[in-house]
Amino acid sequence: MTDRQYIIGEFSPASDDDLIICRCEEITKGEIRRAVFDGMFNICEVRRLLRCGMGLCQGLTCGRLVKSVIAGEIGLSATALEDATARAPMRPTEMFIFAKEVTDE
Amino acid sequence: MSFDLMVIGAGPAGLSAAAEAASHGLKVAVFDENALPGGQLFKQIHKFFGSKEHKAKMRGIDIGIELLEETDSLGVKVFLNSPVVGLYKNREIVVRQKETVRHFKADSIIVATGASENLLPFDGWTLPGVMGAGAAQTMMNINRVKPGNRVLMLGSGNVGLVVGFQLLQAGCELVAIADAAPRIGGYGVHASKLTRTGVPFYLSHTIMRAEGRENVTGVVIGQVDENWQHIPDTEKHFEVDTICLAVGLSPSAQLLKMAGCKMSQNGTPVCDKSGETSLYNIFAAGDVSGIEEASSAMIEGRISAAAAAKKLGFISEKSFQKRSGELDAALSELRQGMFAPQNRNAPLEKTDEGFNISKSLLKKGYITEEEISEYPGFKPGAGIRPVIECTQNIPCDPCRDICPKGCIKVENIVSLPVYDENTNCTGCGLCVAACPGQAIFLTDDRPGKVEEGKVAITIPYEFLPLPEKVGPGMAYDRSGAPLCPAYVSKIQESAFLGKTPLVTFVVPKNMAMRARFWKAV
Repeated sequence: MTDRQYIIGEFSPASDDDLIICRCEEITKGEIRRAVFDGMFNICEVRRLLRCGMGLCQGLTCGRLVKSVIAGEIGLSATALEDATARAPMRPTEMFIFAKEVTDE
Repeated sequence: MSFDLMVIGAGPAGLSAAAEAASHGLKVAVFDENALPGGQLFKQIHKFFGSKEHKAKMRGIDIGIELLEETDSLGVKVFLNSPVVGLYKNREIVVRQKETVRHFKADSIIVATGASENLLPFDGWTLPGVMGAGAAQTMMNINRVKPGNRVLMLGSGNVGLVVGFQLLQAGCELVAIADAAPRIGGYGVHASKLTRTGVPFYLSHTIMRAEGRENVTGVVIGQVDENWQHIPDTEKHFEVDTICLAVGLSPSAQLLKMAGCKMSQNGTPVCDKSGETSLYNIFAAGDVSGIEEASSAMIEGRISAAAAAKKLGFISEKSFQKRSGELDAALSELRQGMFAPQNRNAPLEKTDEGFNISKSLLKKGYITEEEISEYPGFKPGAGIRPVIECTQNIPCDPCRDICPKGCIKVENIVSLPVYDENTNCTGCGLCVAACPGQAIFLTDDRPGKVEEGKVAITIPYEFLPLPEKVGPGMAYDRSGAPLCPAYVSKIQESAFLGKTPLVTFVVPKNMAMRARFWKAV
């Protein structure tokens, strides 16, 4: 769902906006909702803006939750939204470890 | 370094795949991010359902040991502490090992990365003390740490029910099991193990908030209507220090997605019958390809491995057909019954045999006395005999296989067990211990063995400490309500019972079909 023409109205605060959705990066439901109202209709865009799902657990816990918040605001079912792009490294890996890549086997 | 087959994940599916492939002569490596192999198997301290070929009535931990012996003896190389951080469609993986990343290649890859727990956000969900049920299980059964003292479980699927029981075994108090759904999601027998110890179920209830400043000190649940909307003034408060969430699992399919496998909308890879994804010689087996029981995962792993062996020319088309035929048959047996994946949302009304499914069992977690008397395993009478309180079609038959006298009939794997009164039950208790659902009891009123007017009831009792012989206590009914004083007349423990001790207690005869649990007073 990347249709920029999608009209979802004006953002209005909700009572549970302070609820933390992404624990690693401490991103709240309100922040994600606001991002949707600012025109970010998929998980990749929201993630780039807010870093939700980019912390230690790499979205293993919050991936589904972020998706359902976004889908809820646009009025879609969560399965209609695509998951975040999966790319290496699939587990958090420090750069100095990458620098020691063994390539000659 | 290169292999014929690389398996990602050393859980039930991955280890089974590795063992199967190695048995066909493939050079196999398994990679796992954890320090110990086995995935979730080693924390499954309960007995599995199924048939002999599915390792029924074995505990997950023992199945894990057996699988590791098999992979060891076949020369499978298992790399631990080795998270696979990248998977590419040319069947190359990137693995982090200590402070380096290394590349490995194989002709075939089986991804068996399992699943991760879903969590649910509510007010206070980030407080220490809120955890996944699986996390609590890891604390208890792997790390030997009690997760808390008073626990509320959200979720009545098999994970919630099984972990709930294990919390009791670890000495925690389980104050309640809540579920937003209107019926208990897991096996009735698992629920009944809890209710007879006094655990209440709150169906159509969800968590409103967790209380506490530094950690959980309480929880409030509230009722929801059929549209999952909160009904005002239905809040219930419990003092707890732990909240366990058993609200489902999500396949850990990120590596497959990264490699470019075609994915379906529910987050699983699109696979053919052998588990091969849209990418050539890259397979998915176990929970990563769809959440099921570990028993199914183990067979799926073997099916994928047999297919890989055939595609790489290690076995002939003919021997592949034979092997995959056996495995497919075993898998389709497990995928029968009212809890099978294809029946997941079907209404539970009647058993295959036409008996009414107990409404009380689905709502409250126990079957009522009126309901239970309908079933073919429930035949009250004189002498010693098994009383089988198995009332849902679940693929499982150890009770039939273990009885040395052939007293119990199970027509096909999902049929309800039938007690044949024309046989000679000797009261050996093997069926009581073998039943993975702990749903078989013995009643004994033989003159000379039991006092006049009394009956001895034998129950499976997987709690410590074991009762003291002739210890005073109370008998409880299926709902966990106290019935009458009862003393313990016998405690049996032996290797044949598979570490399920049997406790026999004596109650007045009119309690024979009511008393189903015993507690010391």
